[in-house]
Amino acid sequence: MTNALDTMSGTDRPVGSMVASVSRLPARPLTKEKVVIRLLLSVLAVTTVYALAHLDDGGVNLLQAASDTLANLKIIFLHPGGPHLSFLKALYEVVITLGLAFLATLFGAFIALFLGLLGAQNLAPKPVTNVIKAFVAFVRAVPTILWVLIFAVTAGLGATAAVIGMTFHSVSYLTKAYSESFEDLDRSVIEALKASGANWWQIVFQAVIPSSSTYLLSWTFLRFEMNFANAVVMGAAAGASGVGFDLYMASGYYFDLREVGLITYLILAFAIILETIAIRMKNRIKDDQA
Amino acid sequence: MTQISQLPGAPLLEVSHVMKNYDGTRPALDDISFSIGKGEFVAVIGPSGAGKSTLLRCINRMIDVSDGEVRFEGVSVSQLNRRDLKKVRSKIGMIFQHYNLVERLTVIENVLHGRLGSKSTLSGALGRYSRDEKRQAMELISMLGLAEHVYQRCDRLSGGQKQRVGIARALVQDPKVILCDEPIASLDPNASKVIMEQLKRFSNEMHISLIVNLHQVDVALRYSDRILGVNKGRIVFDGRPSELSPERIAEIYGTELSAPRVRYAS
Repeated sequence: MTNALDTMSGTDRPVGSMVASVSRLPARPLTKEKVVIRLLLSVLAVTTVYALAHLDDGGVNLLQAASDTLANLKIIFLHPGGPHLSFLKALYEVVITLGLAFLATLFGAFIALFLGLLGAQNLAPKPVTNVIKAFVAFVRAVPTILWVLIFAVTAGLGATAAVIGMTFHSVSYLTKAYSESFEDLDRSVIEALKASGANWWQIVFQAVIPSSSTYLLSWTFLRFEMNFANAVVMGAAAGASGVGFDLYMASGYYFDLREVGLITYLILAFAIILETIAIRMKNRIKDDQA
Repeated sequence: MTQISQLPGAPLLEVSHVMKNYDGTRPALDDISFSIGKGEFVAVIGPSGAGKSTLLRCINRMIDVSDGEVRFEGVSVSQLNRRDLKKVRSKIGMIFQHYNLVERLTVIENVLHGRLGSKSTLSGALGRYSRDEKRQAMELISMLGLAEHVYQRCDRLSGGQKQRVGIARALVQDPKVILCDEPIASLDPNASKVIMEQLKRFSNEMHISLIVNLHQVDVALRYSDRILGVNKGRIVFDGRPSELSPERIAEIYGTELSAPRVRYAS
């Protein structure tokens, strides 16, 4: 026992000296990133505390408000249904929303196919790909809703502006996705066909598109799923009709929570269906790469 | 030093004083001249980076020459406009080390790609091939022993099978010349033998000239009618396989130490 204690204290000493030597090591250099992050965190902390202290609650009883919210959520999610909308009518409106998404995806995919070819580095000269990529990055940087509002100036608020705006954003998204799929095809395959006298269009349709068709389909469907979500928002924000508009009316005008619930469930159901298909598509991409 | 071997016909391909500079340092090709007759089987050997691949690609102008001239059937390739260049290219087949097939398409689709150069843009892009073209492709595929794989995707094939698809794609062009860029460098000895023998056979039967870049000197000795030795962008040997002595090989490969050991064919 004492032997063991001895050996323990024996081992203690070198550890202590190690700690001492560690403390003598030079401190890790304070990098620029670290300074920025620390500064940011402290600013955030200060503003949070300040905002909480000066919160204008407008005399709302927070407990009361919380329980009311819960009660509303209960009505929305447990008692869906509505006087204004029958289930079939709501379904019909969802189909309209799907239609908006479909149109935007279709137009977007068609335009993006050609822009994607011009944006692929193995198919187009570098200046051209650079211009396409810069243009597409710019379009993508502006949110969909802004494009819709921009086109609303000429087309008026409604389905037309919504589809054009969503198409715009779809083009930018799909062009990037497509051109990257095209770039996956080895330059040497293109070289082989060129060497046999094939021209650009023949190479594109006989080699490039067949090689990337799985990717193209999958990306397009992913975008369709995104456009569905966008189309719901457009219904409300841009008066593009469809289920989004009904949701807006139900929540903003009729204050009919049961109807909000019905619509939410419908949108959720469709979103889940689309998401499931999209995930399968993604897996197909992965399988193909393996 | 160099000796022009007996040509079986009038020169089909004439390369004269070809230079290629990539970036102004050492030229990749330095004053290359040779001519090739109908049905000749020419092996090009030399160390890595000697300019063998560049030389092949200058012939069908996949790479533009810096100086000099390549004449194919009496026409100067470097003077051609795009359209005529494509016509010339459609008469020159090409086979690659990595086969360069569209892996997701079937064997027959890949073979038919060899016809694109002789078709209109539209029917080529839509993949509309005539009955004759399909029959020809089928024939070549079965001649190359791939009959049971006709409708299989190329990514399911072995390396040797892929290279045979590559050969069929070149042959379906009805080429006068086939350029082979290291056709067996990625294949095992057995598959290599099959490929070389098939190339030799088609060269003989269809009177197609072959220019084959090779790493293996013994393969060059066994199959070719003529060997071009290339080192640092220059032709340092041009003659029959029987004239290629170990000293010559050492000269081609730079030093005696780096010369590969050679098994002599007859």
